[in-house]
Amino acid sequence: MKRIMMFVLLLSLLAGTVFGAELPKLRVGYVPEPAHGLYFVAKEKGYFKEEGVDVELFQFGSAAEGLAALKAEKLDVGTFGTTAPLLFISKGSEFSFIGGMMIGGQAIITRPERLAELSGKDLKVYKGKKIGLVKLSTGDVIFKGALKKAGIDYRKDLNFVEFGTVAAVVEAVKKGAVDAGLVYPPHFSLAEKNYGLKVAHYIEDFYPDYTCCRIVAHTKQVNADRETYRKFLAALIRAYRFYKTNPDETVKIYTKALKIDEDIIRNETYVKRVAESNPDPLRKGILDFWKHIQDAGYITQDYPMDKHINTSIYKEALDAVIKKNPKDKTYQQMLTFYKKNN
Amino acid sequence: MARARLGTLLTASVLMLQMTVVAGSAAPVKPLRIGYLDHPGSALVLTAAAKNLFKSEGVQVRLIRYCDTESGLADLAKDRIDVGAFTVGETLLQIADGKGLRIIGGGGTVLAVDPADLDEAAKAEQESGGIVMMVAEGPRAPGKAVLTGLMTALIRAHQSLQKAPKAVRDRVVTQISLPVPDRSVHFEPSADYRRMERLWRSRDLQKEGMPRDFLATHLDEEIYCDALDRLVDRDGLKDELLKKLFSEAVCVPDCCPKDAKKKNKREGGLL
Repeated sequence: MKRIMMFVLLLSLLAGTVFGAELPKLRVGYVPEPAHGLYFVAKEKGYFKEEGVDVELFQFGSAAEGLAALKAEKLDVGTFGTTAPLLFISKGSEFSFIGGMMIGGQAIITRPERLAELSGKDLKVYKGKKIGLVKLSTGDVIFKGALKKAGIDYRKDLNFVEFGTVAAVVEAVKKGAVDAGLVYPPHFSLAEKNYGLKVAHYIEDFYPDYTCCRIVAHTKQVNADRETYRKFLAALIRAYRFYKTNPDETVKIYTKALKIDEDIIRNETYVKRVAESNPDPLRKGILDFWKHIQDAGYITQDYPMDKHINTSIYKEALDAVIKKNPKDKTYQQMLTFYKKNN
Repeated sequence: MARARLGTLLTASVLMLQMTVVAGSAAPVKPLRIGYLDHPGSALVLTAAAKNLFKSEGVQVRLIRYCDTESGLADLAKDRIDVGAFTVGETLLQIADGKGLRIIGGGGTVLAVDPADLDEAAKAEQESGGIVMMVAEGPRAPGKAVLTGLMTALIRAHQSLQKAPKAVRDRVVTQISLPVPDRSVHFEPSADYRRMERLWRSRDLQKEGMPRDFLATHLDEEIYCDALDRLVDRDGLKDELLKKLFSEAVCVPDCCPKDAKKKNKREGGLL
């Protein structure tokens, strides 16, 4: 009887250690865009807990609000575009980029009767055109970067019209107040569906693998609790594999989380592949983005942004996942991509 | 005719210095107490009150005049006023001293000398006498919606002043404080971070051990950006001055659908 009692006691102690131990918590902020879906996949499939981190997701209605919450330490990590964290860091916020969430995704929309005029693979078709945009949005910064790379003087050769919201850009295109507009998902799909507008180009046609929404966290927290952030990124790396290999279930998870039309999500994510949900930090892309913001004259002061990019935690997470799955093709592709872009 | 009325309206507002500008509603709503320095740079506040712009933006206000910034900031700290319109130089000094102040917008700066004729130090000195809008930090501070309404009214006051003939503008600013001949006032409703940072550095306020974002933590540009967005949403960008302000502002871009709200598990939201 004594032996049985001891066994039961031992079992309960073990259970307490293995199952009852509190996982480290991370409060994660995001904005509702389809390409931010890796968070939902990792949560739904239990990857965060399997990797040893308890994640609570918080949705924000604007990048500014989300980053303010991060700055106030109401969040531990978040994904709020690329411009917003760069602006905050340039003003002294001690944030670090530790990963990514979305690559590409911006499109140039126009009215159907203008589509032929804007077709082709040369950015010169936009010379002399009036383009609507949301200032400092990823589309604005990257499109100007692409024009510059193509040797086009966008200040002289194009006429940009700034709007406060992407909805106002769509409206201006619809009314013919501008020749084309730069918009992001799911707005161009909605503009096509609701107003019959057409996508003339995806900006990625001219600027492959450009950075969009990045994962940022407090530098001091990242340094103090590196292991928790590594686990968090490992879960996202596994979520990426799931997203690449399980389209149907991924679409359902995204749809449930974002309450956006399932067809739009499927179309953007797997048919037209307008953006990729990729957790790679894309260091080179962040530095390019920062340079384009400066070139456009939005921020004239220089700042050593590179010291706010931490790629090593992501690399450690990727290495750990690969070690467990050495023959997995998706993880090997992620490693190749990492080496190219960081 | 409408422009000519501006000076008269402002005169009335200056004479009724401790007036309360409230909506006709019977519901007792505590007005926002705005302390302002008797200074030409406060003209945006007085113009907004005189032209009922605060009221039309849903903000009830009571204006309280101060003869010096120190008294105003002291009253802000003691919760005797909710918002201040005081000099930027003194405000930055107090922020550097650890006072819980948050700058939310700009005002006017008297340009006694053309900035082009001044060296950097003299330019910063002249700029330090300009007006900025601020609140005290902490739970007593007015909410974001109220402050956005306030800033919207101030931007509209700026539009109104800039559209008025120079003679009317001059009359407005000289009625606020002692008239100084041949001066001009530059109005800038934004508390642009880069401008504040320039002043901060020129006055050597960044001390050793201060976090790099110390100044940014005491500056809330989002209020001004939200106010601009509100006006652009409402009126479009037909107005050239609004277009210019919008183009100059460095705001975090809109990212999300209009109806995107904060949600989390506790609120019955996602996952």
